[in-house]
Amino acid sequence: MPKLSLADLEKIREKARATAIMREGGPYRVKVTVHMGTCGIAAGAREIMDTFMKSLEEKNIEDVLLTTSGCAGMCSHEPMATVESAGKSPVKYIDLTPEKARTLFEKHVVGGEPVQEYALGSGSERTI
Amino acid sequence: MTDQKYRMNLMICGGTSCVSHNSFEVKEALEREIARQGLKDEVCVVTTGCLGFCEACPLMVVKPDDIFYTQLKLKDIPYLVEEHFLKGRPVQRLMYKPPEDGSRIAKLSEIGFFKKQILIALRNRGLIDPEKIDDYIARDGYKGLARALTEMTPEEIIQEIKQSGLRGRGGAGFPTGLKWEYVRNAEGEPKYLICNGDEGDPGAYMDRSIVEGDPHSVLEGMAIGARAMGVNQGFLYIRNEYPLAYRRIHIAIEQAREYGLLGKDILGTGFDFDVKVVRGAGAFVCGEETSLIASVEGRLAEPRPRPPYPAQCGLWGKPTNINNVETWANVPVVITRGAKWFSSIGTDLSKGTKVFSVVGKIKTTGLVEVPMGLSLGEIIFDICGGVANDRKFKAVQIGGPSGGCIPARLLNLPLDYEKLTEAGSMMGSGGMVVMDEKTCMVDLAHFFLTFTKDESCGKCSPCREGIPRMLEILTKIKEGKGEMEDLDLLNDLATVIKETSLCGLGKTAPNPVTSTLRYFKDEYESHIKYKRCPAAVCVHLVSSPCHHTCPIETEASSFVAFIAQGKFKEALEVNRMVNPLASVCGRVCHHPCETTCRAGEVDEPIAVRALKRFVADYERTNGGKPAVKPVPKKYEKVAVVGSGPAGLMAGWELGKLGYSVTIFEAERVAGGMLAWAIPEYRLPKDILQSEINAIRASGVEIKTNTRIGKDITIDDLFGRGYKAIFLATGAPVNLRLGIPGEEKDGVVDPIEFLKQFNLKNKAKIGKKVAVIGGGNTAIDAARTAWRLGADVTILYRRTRNEMPAIHEEIEEALREGIKIEFLTIPVEACSENGRLSRLKCQRMQLKGFDDSGRAWPVPVEVGTFEIEVDTLIPAVGQAPDLTFLNGNSSLRISKWKTLEVNPETMETNVPGIFAGGDVVSGPATVLEAMKAGKIAAQSIHRYLRGESLVREYKPKETQFEVPPVGVMPEEGAELMRPSMPTIPIEERKMNFKEVELGFTREMAVREAIRCLRCDLENIRLKGREV
Repeated sequence: MPKLSLADLEKIREKARATAIMREGGPYRVKVTVHMGTCGIAAGAREIMDTFMKSLEEKNIEDVLLTTSGCAGMCSHEPMATVESAGKSPVKYIDLTPEKARTLFEKHVVGGEPVQEYALGSGSERTI
Repeated sequence: MTDQKYRMNLMICGGTSCVSHNSFEVKEALEREIARQGLKDEVCVVTTGCLGFCEACPLMVVKPDDIFYTQLKLKDIPYLVEEHFLKGRPVQRLMYKPPEDGSRIAKLSEIGFFKKQILIALRNRGLIDPEKIDDYIARDGYKGLARALTEMTPEEIIQEIKQSGLRGRGGAGFPTGLKWEYVRNAEGEPKYLICNGDEGDPGAYMDRSIVEGDPHSVLEGMAIGARAMGVNQGFLYIRNEYPLAYRRIHIAIEQAREYGLLGKDILGTGFDFDVKVVRGAGAFVCGEETSLIASVEGRLAEPRPRPPYPAQCGLWGKPTNINNVETWANVPVVITRGAKWFSSIGTDLSKGTKVFSVVGKIKTTGLVEVPMGLSLGEIIFDICGGVANDRKFKAVQIGGPSGGCIPARLLNLPLDYEKLTEAGSMMGSGGMVVMDEKTCMVDLAHFFLTFTKDESCGKCSPCREGIPRMLEILTKIKEGKGEMEDLDLLNDLATVIKETSLCGLGKTAPNPVTSTLRYFKDEYESHIKYKRCPAAVCVHLVSSPCHHTCPIETEASSFVAFIAQGKFKEALEVNRMVNPLASVCGRVCHHPCETTCRAGEVDEPIAVRALKRFVADYERTNGGKPAVKPVPKKYEKVAVVGSGPAGLMAGWELGKLGYSVTIFEAERVAGGMLAWAIPEYRLPKDILQSEINAIRASGVEIKTNTRIGKDITIDDLFGRGYKAIFLATGAPVNLRLGIPGEEKDGVVDPIEFLKQFNLKNKAKIGKKVAVIGGGNTAIDAARTAWRLGADVTILYRRTRNEMPAIHEEIEEALREGIKIEFLTIPVEACSENGRLSRLKCQRMQLKGFDDSGRAWPVPVEVGTFEIEVDTLIPAVGQAPDLTFLNGNSSLRISKWKTLEVNPETMETNVPGIFAGGDVVSGPATVLEAMKAGKIAAQSIHRYLRGESLVREYKPKETQFEVPPVGVMPEEGAELMRPSMPTIPIEERKMNFKEVELGFTREMAVREAIRCLRCDLENIRLKGREV
């Protein structure tokens, strides 16, 4: 990859934004983020990641973006994951287990209905 | 939060989603248009947190009318400003249309944990994949670097950082811009910069989280700094214990190099900068910059004297800048958003936000980023939900081993660099270790000093030799061998170590000691003088936490151990040895032993009170009676005034010693508050009287219907040959609320109400009763009124967590259907035809904290309402009745109208007269009154035997050594605290049957087996055998 110019940086920004924001008609229908900081991993985030990966493979789903991120701040409620459907507020899930992850995959990722029992809240944090 | 000055406030959403939908641009466009229309002084634009409607972003709420605009586009702005804000015609087409079905999931912005946080350093947390540079770029990553390289001179960058007010986030808070300027102006080439990621404070992990979750934010900050200072090589020092952070920073560096954001000719501007990662072996002293430099150079990590400072002579003798991870992560934002914006957040001298890692005894452990100046209480309670298990907040250690503790009474302290230093602590890295009432502050100081002793590099003698000396003294105090002079010695040593140590480690190491000495000197004194560890932690002093905590020194661990072995008789004997009222205490004790019980750390504390009741009941149901051995009367006559728990205890103790004791009781029956204030459904009369009869049988005379001051005076008592008098007349006078209408018909004194009912079976209440207060008297009055068929509501000004009544009593009251209106006070009692008919109430909210660390209620602005009542029972406090002194006594009286005594001996200022219980302390617990009676009896004995009254204190030891029962662990693992069997709610109406039924034999034995037997540790420590 050649070195970036200022214009290239802006292009990457635009392109990356387009994938980062879940828009209807975008390349992905749903984005699933598993929070994998040290706290998350210690609480079992890898198992949650595996569960989602397996579910995706089993169902041969391709329009779901499965990705990772760092600590979400609420370390005592890890493992956590965020599910964001195109055009909808992201929903944060806490205290996950592989069992819960399977349920929320079925209901929210596939079915489009957030699972209220496992959800902490919807929307996002106040950043600058 | 809107500003009253403005006619209109536009709350524009600054949440993640909105930001990615260009809400900044929208905000800027709004501001431009508002200025153009000349509305700048009327309309204010405010950025808020995510409003939780991300699908409709960017969005805006117009206050005060709450008009909601969504999906705003730049081109809409001029029209919107003109139509709505200038001409006052809201624009329908841009307004939010609610969806058909509302989501039931809470909005993140409404959840306490997120509400008050503003993320700058953690701006990308949970949002980007740290291993993908494009994710970072999408969220305006490397925009600051681009700007710094193309639009700003190095001097301008430094100026911007200086103006922003950014200060070092890793320790002392040195102004970052100034530090950069020193390096830029220093002579010598090449120059270096270092990112300090050697996060060593126990409990601090914000730097790890930033490097793991958003490594590019650190790299970008470093690159900007490099440009400003003229540096081409940076080092990122990270501890080896952070493998994930190490891996991710490597990936980030590789990706940045690939894009040309690190390396040669960055963004085609001719600027070169690269970063090398150095792993640290995890020495705490590396947090100190000169040691860290030594470590980067590959030398032994030892500090050296400063000056010269690293800015002049750092890495390999060259000018070097060091900032920590969080500081670097802030830098790109200062450049993209500008100094003016950054400095608008925070306090006068501390700008921006600070990340705190909140750990310890806290409900939600985590990382919080808040504007500087937010109060400690807001972080602990509003954000993190308060202390785990709803225990009492005691203190928080801020800044790790180098910091100091902040006590509960400083919960209102705004957190910034200056305020924390004034309070004897420091910002440090921002690690917060929350401590509850079960933390011993001497032990805490000992813990941190052990840490710094181990981490001291040993180069300078004040630190190497001084810290171990301080630690020795602390150990002595913890073992109960300390002397009061030791405290001065500790302070002296601390001063010398602080002033003469070479580096920050030594200079700050004494902080945990000096701050605990400053705020918790009484705890040190308690260890030294009274051989007591109030938190029941220090093992040399604590026979077992339950035994240590019991005011009358019941060996709970021993009797529970006997129950586990089925030896109920022995278990009872353990109780009877110190307590003539075991049946009573087994029912009404507030069980402080259960609060300190170590089993409660992992699951539920042992049900000590219920077990006590079990053995006392076992004796009665098996035909036994309290064993009574009348003691020959070999000594003088002693008079006790009042037959409540204090008087009964004193009489019993004195009787055992061989005194002829007469207890004078004004009422018809003995027992004081036990007899007439505590309702029968909690304490059946026959049970109380059988224990009082046993005290009588032991040779104590109780004269009822004899009121001192009326039937007989105190002087008369001396005249009749009583050689000492113990005054235990309680606190039976109810305090008034001080609201209009309180004198009306229908307002009932709770004490009078309970007394009339319990002694004479008469009650004068209506059908709709309001009880005011949150203590035991309030609950007793409420549950009594409920049993008499009334519809009862309790009004309490704080919340459930702050309610002082016994937890189980509140639970049962709620189960019985008594309503509790929390956060409510009465403001006026209204009458019709001279009879109480309504109560005007005011809603309260908790705001800030009082000196004891309790949340403070203040009225809500629009919060008055009325409830229909015909009876009002104000139970907000009681005071002693001192009329028996007939106003001419020389006894010293406090401003709270209580009797003044020496708290160690219970002697008053008049020789021969002693006093204790509620008349001295104000309303307290049964057990505290019994303790006072016990101490008074011992003092009276010494007084009459002509001995000095000064008490000698020794560490308590258990008298019984009960061998362990030997349960298999898997058996123990299944055990759970049984819930107390009670009679069904429907059987409680219109009668006063005892509600709690007590444990069965099987329940009691199983529960006793669950005991962890903390007593064995102390027995072993003292070289005793079981």
